[in-house]
Amino acid sequence: MELHTGLSFSVLCIQILVGLSKATILFIVASGLTLILGVLRIPNLAHGSLYMIGAFTTYSIATVFSQSSLGFWMALLLAPLLVALIGLIMEQGLFRFLYKRDHLMMLLFTFSFTLVFGDLVKLVWGSDYRSLAVPEIFQGSLSLLGMPFPRYNLFLLLLGPVFAAGLWFLTNRTLLGKVSRAAAVDREMVGAVGINVNRIYAAVFVLGCYLAGIGGALVAPTQNISQGMDHSIIIEIFLIVIIGGLGNVWGALLGAVIFGLTDAIGILVAPQFGIIFPYLAVITVLIFRPKGLLKSIW
Amino acid sequence: MKSSLKLFCLAALIGCSLLTASNAFAAETIKVGIVDTYSGPASTYTNDVRDAFALEVNKINAAGGIFGQQVEFVTRDSKFKVDLGMSAAKELVMREEVDILMGTINSALALAISDFAKQEKLPFLATFAKSAKITGEKGHRYVFSMNENTTMIGKAAATGLAKLPYTTYWIAGDDYEYGHAVADGVWENLKKLKPEVRLLGQSWWKVGEPDFTPYITAMLAEEPDAVIIATGGRDCVPFLKAAQTTGFNKLVPFYMHTATEISTLKPLGLTAPEGVIGTANYHSYYPDTAENRAFVAEFEKAYDRTPAVGALYGYITAQFISKAYAKAGEVDTEKFIDALEGLSVDSPVGTVTMRAEDHQIMLPMFMGVTTKVEGQQVLVASDIVTISAEDAMPSLEEIRKARQL
Repeated sequence: MELHTGLSFSVLCIQILVGLSKATILFIVASGLTLILGVLRIPNLAHGSLYMIGAFTTYSIATVFSQSSLGFWMALLLAPLLVALIGLIMEQGLFRFLYKRDHLMMLLFTFSFTLVFGDLVKLVWGSDYRSLAVPEIFQGSLSLLGMPFPRYNLFLLLLGPVFAAGLWFLTNRTLLGKVSRAAAVDREMVGAVGINVNRIYAAVFVLGCYLAGIGGALVAPTQNISQGMDHSIIIEIFLIVIIGGLGNVWGALLGAVIFGLTDAIGILVAPQFGIIFPYLAVITVLIFRPKGLLKSIW
Repeated sequence: MKSSLKLFCLAALIGCSLLTASNAFAAETIKVGIVDTYSGPASTYTNDVRDAFALEVNKINAAGGIFGQQVEFVTRDSKFKVDLGMSAAKELVMREEVDILMGTINSALALAISDFAKQEKLPFLATFAKSAKITGEKGHRYVFSMNENTTMIGKAAATGLAKLPYTTYWIAGDDYEYGHAVADGVWENLKKLKPEVRLLGQSWWKVGEPDFTPYITAMLAEEPDAVIIATGGRDCVPFLKAAQTTGFNKLVPFYMHTATEISTLKPLGLTAPEGVIGTANYHSYYPDTAENRAFVAEFEKAYDRTPAVGALYGYITAQFISKAYAKAGEVDTEKFIDALEGLSVDSPVGTVTMRAEDHQIMLPMFMGVTTKVEGQQVLVASDIVTISAEDAMPSLEEIRKARQL
């Protein structure tokens, strides 16, 4: 195995920034998953499928506007709303009746949604890959410390802290956030105090799906929008949620950062085996902190 | 005998004779069974094979067919799955009673069908699958390859790259058999032709990698003279997209098989990166011979799109089938195979020959550089260098060693 240790500082910096920009999307999607897991106790395997639907919908909406910049912003606005709507239908139509059930049962239900959504996407969009152009203002790269840094990655990098701050504000400063945190800890007490727990659950589920939709919309210009997207992301975000601490949004942020950074640095240091580094990091974390790095709701 | 029994016997006799009659009708056509992936992204490539094949078969039939028999073909969609493809192949042989099997873009399926054809003693003409094993270590009497394989890609690319002034290289690609086979093929041959080349390192990403940026950054940090990109059909377009975004193509010259092919360049349109070195087996505009122009015109008229490399494979397959039967003198499998060995046909890329020893077709390779052309919506290859089939073929020594003969 060849290790490339004679690295210049600038290359390392750029690679770290690239890793963090990848982490943004992982964080956004994982935070949705962890919210649903923490408050509703549902391990939502269909989260990856919702992310994929978000990406395909973004492609379709943007194409209506002939993939112009306007198209992308419209899609960024509307696609997550559609995914949130799908989430609402899922929650009101099915999950609402199943909260008392076994966790394994919930896992199976969400898994079945994965299969259904997978085929639904194939039915609506066909099995070809789609490609979305990066909006004009983000096309090309900046020269940062002598290396190219794609503008869109910079956009994602800046978006990360915005989302982190927004979610912090939501969970700590809004009524919904505070009640959700309470409901995550003790559902019955929240109900006893007179709050409509069902509404809270629905709101949190919809929010989680909305986040999955935004993640899908943001990732759409960067890669081939294709059928396997749901499978590859769900593994990554589940691992992130587990190492971060179940139900913990900050844990999702930490997990996503670890994942993105180990991936980027690994590629730099041992490019032949670049793929394995994030998973090695996950194994390491789980050996030392099996309950996750930060406090877990469970 | 009771009258009802008599009636039954009569009905049974008529039924049986009808059955044999229909079998007799079936024997009046030469049937080709094509198993390939016609759904999903791979279909962009395989549709061309089938469509060009259909065009040629129609011409052959219009001219009277082969020994007065019409050539008929049926297709089955394997959806890129080996088990589906194998059931389809079996059904084609058992029920449809095809004379020849043809297909597929999936190398694993091609190898499985090849094995099946060997057992059934039926000729299998492989189209699009690029594994060198098909005519190499797993080659046998009943399988023929109608396109280039990873060894040929490697040799041809190395021949072209050896002429360029680059000495330090980086290799990167899809972490699966095809990627490694292409990379190894190019590198082993490049080292032989130009011993002073050095490999600085390698990067391998998963097939379907969503973000190439960290890999591109890492490669740029190493500052190689040139990079060999070994991506399979699925990742060629996304990688070129990433190269354009990061300006990779302007910072480091890189080589990718099929980078100059229309199937790769069309989806990118004018945002395709310029200056990428690529190899391809077919261009609709090169060589600019009467044969090629006629082929392109006919295809465009029938299907309203420019033919890509798959069309070349479909065309020559039909030509080989027709000429081999004609040379054999009758519709007999063994004679067909004997006739096909060493046979040459005319094609849009010149005369191509089926090498007798390993049943591998000898195709020339064209290496060029992606360039924008005034007035065109798709980039084309310029400064095209032709690498002859002889230079690209694996040596008979290598084949013998692979088959352990």
